[in-house]
Amino acid sequence: MEIYETKTSLTVAKPSTVRLSASDKIFYGFIDVLLVLLFFIIAIPLWSTITLSFRPNDFIGTNLEGMFLMPWKWSTAAYKALMGNDGFLMAFGNSFKIMLAGVASALFLTIPLAYALSIRSLPGRAILTVIVLVPHMFDVGMIPSFLMVKDLGLIDHLAAVYLPTAVSTYNCLIMKGFFEGIPDELKESARIDGASEFYLLLRIIIPLSKPIIMSVGLFYAVSFWNDFFHAMLYLNSNNLMPLPILLRNILMASGMNEFVEVSAFGEAPIQAIKAASVFLAAIPMVIAYPFIQKYFAKGTLLGSIKG
Amino acid sequence: MDSQTTVLKPKRNLWRDIKRHRSIYLLLLIPMAYFIIFKYIPIWKGQIAFKNFMPRKGVLGSEWVGLANFQEFFHSFYFWELLRNTIMYSVGKLLISVPLSIILAVSLYECRIKVLRKTVQTLTYLPHFLSWVIMYGILLVLLAPGDGLLNDAIKAFGGKGIDFLTNVKAFPWVVLLSDAWKEMGWGAIIFIAALMGIDPTLFEAAMVEGSSALQRVRYITLPSIRPVIIMVVLLRLGTILSGGFNQLYMLYSPSVYSVGDIIDTWVFRGLQEGKFALATAVGLFKGVMGLILVIVSNRATKRISGSSLY
Repeated sequence: MEIYETKTSLTVAKPSTVRLSASDKIFYGFIDVLLVLLFFIIAIPLWSTITLSFRPNDFIGTNLEGMFLMPWKWSTAAYKALMGNDGFLMAFGNSFKIMLAGVASALFLTIPLAYALSIRSLPGRAILTVIVLVPHMFDVGMIPSFLMVKDLGLIDHLAAVYLPTAVSTYNCLIMKGFFEGIPDELKESARIDGASEFYLLLRIIIPLSKPIIMSVGLFYAVSFWNDFFHAMLYLNSNNLMPLPILLRNILMASGMNEFVEVSAFGEAPIQAIKAASVFLAAIPMVIAYPFIQKYFAKGTLLGSIKG
Repeated sequence: MDSQTTVLKPKRNLWRDIKRHRSIYLLLLIPMAYFIIFKYIPIWKGQIAFKNFMPRKGVLGSEWVGLANFQEFFHSFYFWELLRNTIMYSVGKLLISVPLSIILAVSLYECRIKVLRKTVQTLTYLPHFLSWVIMYGILLVLLAPGDGLLNDAIKAFGGKGIDFLTNVKAFPWVVLLSDAWKEMGWGAIIFIAALMGIDPTLFEAAMVEGSSALQRVRYITLPSIRPVIIMVVLLRLGTILSGGFNQLYMLYSPSVYSVGDIIDTWVFRGLQEGKFALATAVGLFKGVMGLILVIVSNRATKRISGSSLY
């Protein structure tokens, strides 16, 4: 529990009543300028992509002028073209399926594992820890894993994308840390009442751990939504193509004619369609982002070191 | 009698403990099956690094060739190139991102304008959640040779446009700086958490003593987060052979292979070309070196900061 209460948002009040010396004013002014600069460094690439996606076909001018195009002159042709395209919608759906099935199987595997690891009196806990850590620290590379998926006959199944990465050791350790923080008295009193360990997990641990399950679930969701490596490796047929692969094809195509799946666009400039597909692929992350940020916690901090 | 009971007692307890936790073991069946199938059988299959692997003959049927695959890799011209590129990118990212993250964290901590602080904090975390495919799309908007924003600017000042993504000189900088752009905010979180733990009375005392804001940063803030900085650097060194597959795979192209190819991208192309055994040997080399680095860096972290990740 303690883990969860550590806030990462900055709430320390700086003594503002103290009168500032001239050099301190310069220092704080410098900090403000630096942060404003950073704001623009992050915002300009994002803003130029967004405005590019709304650029009308008859736009004449530089990219700089494009960034200041008034919203009432924006065109949604690129979005209409993408949303009316079966290939794009199918890819969106495939990504969604991968994300949902991925998060479900990831939590189904991670929760029991993390819970078992968190029980100090569990005989064999040390062995279990070794079993979980060895594959994490000793990575034999992608080929043995590829051969395994192939032997299982999972090639060209969506499961090949989410199953091999369904357990993230970091997420598991984060969750284990949270479970360990739940007061022992709570568990003991339930045990004295004769509750089985399974019942304990289902009725006491999981309801108390909603925040950590939410945040770990969101982290899994982000990684499954963004995954293109496994999809590239294991999926061949076009109707299984998830969004990142389609997006990559759209971006790599120098002319839309090269790109067979999305061929019927004439209304919007090709650059606008590329930018719009980037923006659409990012939207679920942007929507989930405030929730992810809300669940930042010390536990998830540890995981962020390695990324 | 006495000695007998002391021997028997823990045994009986162990059995009772196991019995009491039987539902947990039952619960672990599926995760353990998962680990065997997706983690341990692949490790076992890694033996093809020592074999002349033929997909037709299978893992067991292929014949042993000892260290031939490793020798081929170590003696090939790309060995040093791959190693150099991989380490260049991991060390370069470390040298750029970590100082930037520290500067960002300290600036956010010192900033007295709440709106600015919140906005910058939120915005700088965001790119971490975008995939490298999306990043590639954004980079195209910025860097495209014909109509990118940056080339527009260069041309406006009378310069000649550069194709950043295919230029051997520009490419490494695109990789390093785009990574810094994406991960700077996320990397700052851990430092911000450390800053939040500083005892505020330290600042009050220093203020009473008439210190300047800069002195407080120099003598209180930075020394306080020093252990965290060391920990982050050490843990990053443990992953020095990774370099960032997703990023390089998205950004590179044959014209920049000489500066863009890292161990993981090479292994991936090896897989595509069907060079299973050789690519597995390369992957295994990376895995063994990575394991040593992770253990060493964890030991060092433990010694310095008193706690480690594992």
